[in-house]
Amino acid sequence: MQLTLRHTLRLSLGTPARAVAHVLLTPPSTPQQQVERWSIDMPGIAEAASFRDGFGNRAQLVSLVKPAGELLVVAEGRVKTIDKAGVLGRLQYDPVPALFRRATALTGPDAALLDGLADGPDRIALFHELMGRICERTAGQSQDTAGQSQSQGGDATAADRTHAFLGAARALGAPARYVTGYLLDDGGTAAVHAWAEAWDESLGWIGFDPTLNLCPAESHVRLAAGLDAMSCPPLRTVPVWLDGPAETVEITAG
Amino acid sequence: MLGRTAQNLFWLSRYVERAENMARLLEVGYRMSLTSRREGGASEHLVSMLQAAEADEAFNAKHKQADVVSVSQFMLFDETNPSSVRSCLLAARTNARSVRTALTTDMWESLNSAWLEFAALDPREVTGSRLVELLRWVRTVSYRYRGALLSTFLRDDGYAFSQIGNFVERADNTARILDMKYYVLLPRTDLIGGDVDIQQWTLILRAASAHRSYRHVYHDRYKAWNIADYLILRPEMPRSLLFSYSWINRTLDMLEEIYGGKGRGHAAAAEVNTMLDGNSMDRIFAYGLHEFLTEFIARNNQVTEALAESYNFY
Amino acid sequence: MTNVDGSIREPYSILDQWLKQQPAEAMGVMAADAEAIFRRLGITFAVYGSNEGTEKLIPFDIIPRIISAVEWRRLSKAIEQRVRALNAFLHDIYHRQEILRAGRIPEKLILDNSAFCPEMMGLDPARGVYSHIIGVDIVRVGPDDWYVLEDNLRTPSGVSYMLEDREAMLQLAPDLFQRLKVAPVDSYPENLRRTLDSVAPPGASGAPTLAVLTPGIYNSAYFEHSFLADQMGAELCEGQDLFVENGKVFMRTTMGPRRVDVIYRRIDDDYLDPLTFKPDSMLGVPGLFDAYRAGNVTLVNAPGTGIADDKAVYTYVPEIIEFYLGEKPLLKNVPTYNCTRADERAYVLEHIAELVVKEVHGSGGYGMLVGPTSTKEMHDIFREKILARPDNYIVQPTLALSTCPTYVESGVAPRHVDLRPYVLVGDQIRITPGGLTRVALKQGSLVVNSSQGGGTKDTWVLED
Repeated sequence: MQLTLRHTLRLSLGTPARAVAHVLLTPPSTPQQQVERWSIDMPGIAEAASFRDGFGNRAQLVSLVKPAGELLVVAEGRVKTIDKAGVLGRLQYDPVPALFRRATALTGPDAALLDGLADGPDRIALFHELMGRICERTAGQSQDTAGQSQSQGGDATAADRTHAFLGAARALGAPARYVTGYLLDDGGTAAVHAWAEAWDESLGWIGFDPTLNLCPAESHVRLAAGLDAMSCPPLRTVPVWLDGPAETVEITAG
Repeated sequence: MLGRTAQNLFWLSRYVERAENMARLLEVGYRMSLTSRREGGASEHLVSMLQAAEADEAFNAKHKQADVVSVSQFMLFDETNPSSVRSCLLAARTNARSVRTALTTDMWESLNSAWLEFAALDPREVTGSRLVELLRWVRTVSYRYRGALLSTFLRDDGYAFSQIGNFVERADNTARILDMKYYVLLPRTDLIGGDVDIQQWTLILRAASAHRSYRHVYHDRYKAWNIADYLILRPEMPRSLLFSYSWINRTLDMLEEIYGGKGRGHAAAAEVNTMLDGNSMDRIFAYGLHEFLTEFIARNNQVTEALAESYNFY
Repeated sequence: MTNVDGSIREPYSILDQWLKQQPAEAMGVMAADAEAIFRRLGITFAVYGSNEGTEKLIPFDIIPRIISAVEWRRLSKAIEQRVRALNAFLHDIYHRQEILRAGRIPEKLILDNSAFCPEMMGLDPARGVYSHIIGVDIVRVGPDDWYVLEDNLRTPSGVSYMLEDREAMLQLAPDLFQRLKVAPVDSYPENLRRTLDSVAPPGASGAPTLAVLTPGIYNSAYFEHSFLADQMGAELCEGQDLFVENGKVFMRTTMGPRRVDVIYRRIDDDYLDPLTFKPDSMLGVPGLFDAYRAGNVTLVNAPGTGIADDKAVYTYVPEIIEFYLGEKPLLKNVPTYNCTRADERAYVLEHIAELVVKEVHGSGGYGMLVGPTSTKEMHDIFREKILARPDNYIVQPTLALSTCPTYVESGVAPRHVDLRPYVLVGDQIRITPGGLTRVALKQGSLVVNSSQGGGTKDTWVLED
């Protein structure tokens, strides 16, 4: 599916003498998506350092001298998504999969979720079971796709569900990683989204979206991966923002 | 050189100079309070000394009565008084530690041992002759530091920032002492000052260690006009405003040579210069002594700000 | 200093003669002179937990420790082996993790370790070196029988004491240097500079600009930071002196921004860069790690080197040496009990009075128990601690550390010592002859840390 995307973030950093931003807003070309064109527009982006981070993502370090008022970041481009039934496979710059067995503060295992499960020869079935359990547990809650933050007692966000998946998969000994990206839903609305990828020795990385209970296909556009939401947010700044970011995502198909 | 290093060297010299000035002021205040025969005179001298040190408000917030003990403790040891000798020596030593590599061993040792000796003092034991002895010691700390600086420090930009800091502080101090007592220096119809005036003049001159050298320069008794002239315009008087600025300008020339250009500090110092160069006491009195000094203090502060901006102090 | 039969070990015979020639009062005078030298230089360290700004002098012992040329050659070869293997291990851990795949080290021990830095994955540091400056703590328990206590691969300190101890000895006992041919140590700053120059990023033109990054004047090792910067001709910077612009690191100078190529950082990983690590760090430089990943600056040592000197990983160092170098380890590890294993834990609890208990992430001699010199109450406290958190402690037998003649109140008496040789890794491996000898000044004590009443001695490696 041909998608045209435009992701806008508005934030305020106050009036520091200098600010730096770590930007993970560049979608890679993968078996699941062909990036036809892509650009990021923000002050300082032309001189930014571009490099790979520890998780294999394309990152930019942008420096801002005396940023004042609202900072506007726009990432936009055209991406062709291809339905591979969720199978991403192996990417050139991926670190060793075992890295994604590391437990983090956000991905602690939940005993109830693991009840009766064990690692076995059919990992893919195991991942589907996990995804189903998380989805069932949060059934009736809104499928809030936005948000990197952990919910405070309210409905689980996509980030929370993904973390639950990662915690369980890692506890079972399977490498699993956090993925950020965009989602075009059935109603034609678009949002920032998060889902998981889990490792299978023969197929490589496979996407699992515990918010929608499906494997990402043509509606998901992948940005970056990491250990958890903290390790690969689309944008991170110092000083941290005072306001924002107010985000909008527009995706048009065709 | 790091901007922070330049800033630290600049302020390090200012703090050492300030410690010396505080000790000098306290010595004068103490002396005057001893010789005052009028009721309440002792306290008055101490208060005007506190005013000259710009420490009167902070003092009044803590103490009801200005007597030798409360004032000397406040000026010497009080941690909450940013201009106390303790605060100045500690700030100087802290600044020195953070630019330890930019200082010579002799400079560092003079400050390090001064602080260690001072910190070991018991404030309760510092009274009477011990007080006077301590105040002299504070001055020698400053002399020792300056001596080490002049005889061991490389004549590079670090030296320049140290020197400028030293003389900006000195000029500020001299201007404040004059401003505090400017009214006793105004020309009046009665040509001969009364006892009170003489006492005030002595205070001013002593605070600048100038009461004896005055005689050598003027071969005359104390006169208000001469005293103002001496501390503002005399090129040979090492604490006069003109002398301080001739040092600052010479040092700025040196910086210009090292850095291959002038900064905003040069323009700010040039502005102060126009107030002193070729000026006369006639014109200063006509302009208003108090107005002149107020403007001088403000412009002197602008030199610090301009230097901070051109040389990346932060 | 003596052999098992009580005879004096050969390297010490001239020292022994010299000691016997000194009039009794001369030693006292020398000790006082030494203290004056150190105080004047301002060589102090801050003690944790005491008032801010409290500075103490590390006691210096005027009797040098002596190592023969033969002994040193063997030792330095063994240290070099260890350092090569540990750097190879770090490279592997942050790339393909072959040693984990081979099952030689439990994967969880590395991946779930707080000292492991996932952000380092896939990064190729200049010359493949992760830990450039290393201080290996070793002890001698018998003639030519050396054990490694700890590999310090993060930011080992103490090298300034090694250099100043030598300066002091040259002033105090010049005649002794005429009788013995002592290998010099004063090339360390120059070698450090060469090492740092050799790992500058490819983009650096001409002589690389070096900076020493310090947490500031209240850090316990601040003296050393300023000392090394001064000796190397590098700028001593705090975080606020540096900034990152367009992926490059600059220092703020009086003449404007100046590009920095290599940073010898004495700030812990967590505080290095608030953009990547602890967001509330005020000590670091925002964006520094990204500039490093972008290849525009070299950090020395690399972040994440702590995984190789973790006390739990320590027990695998012999495996590590064999795995990467295919060689037998030349230096021994102290046998270590793992309290998470029931059988070993049971042994530890029963024999705690004979053992040394260390916290896995502890340092500086804090939070440790030396069984033979502790009370029954302390034994019980540590038994409970181990039961509560068995993974938090490693336990080792008490070693019969070698002793050195040391000048104490009662005269010259034997005291236990360890040795920290300093290793530099860049275009080549450079080991300064000797190192820092730390001495437990209390009779019978085995704890040499300065924070626990230890002192230092000059260390003399004799030349043939």
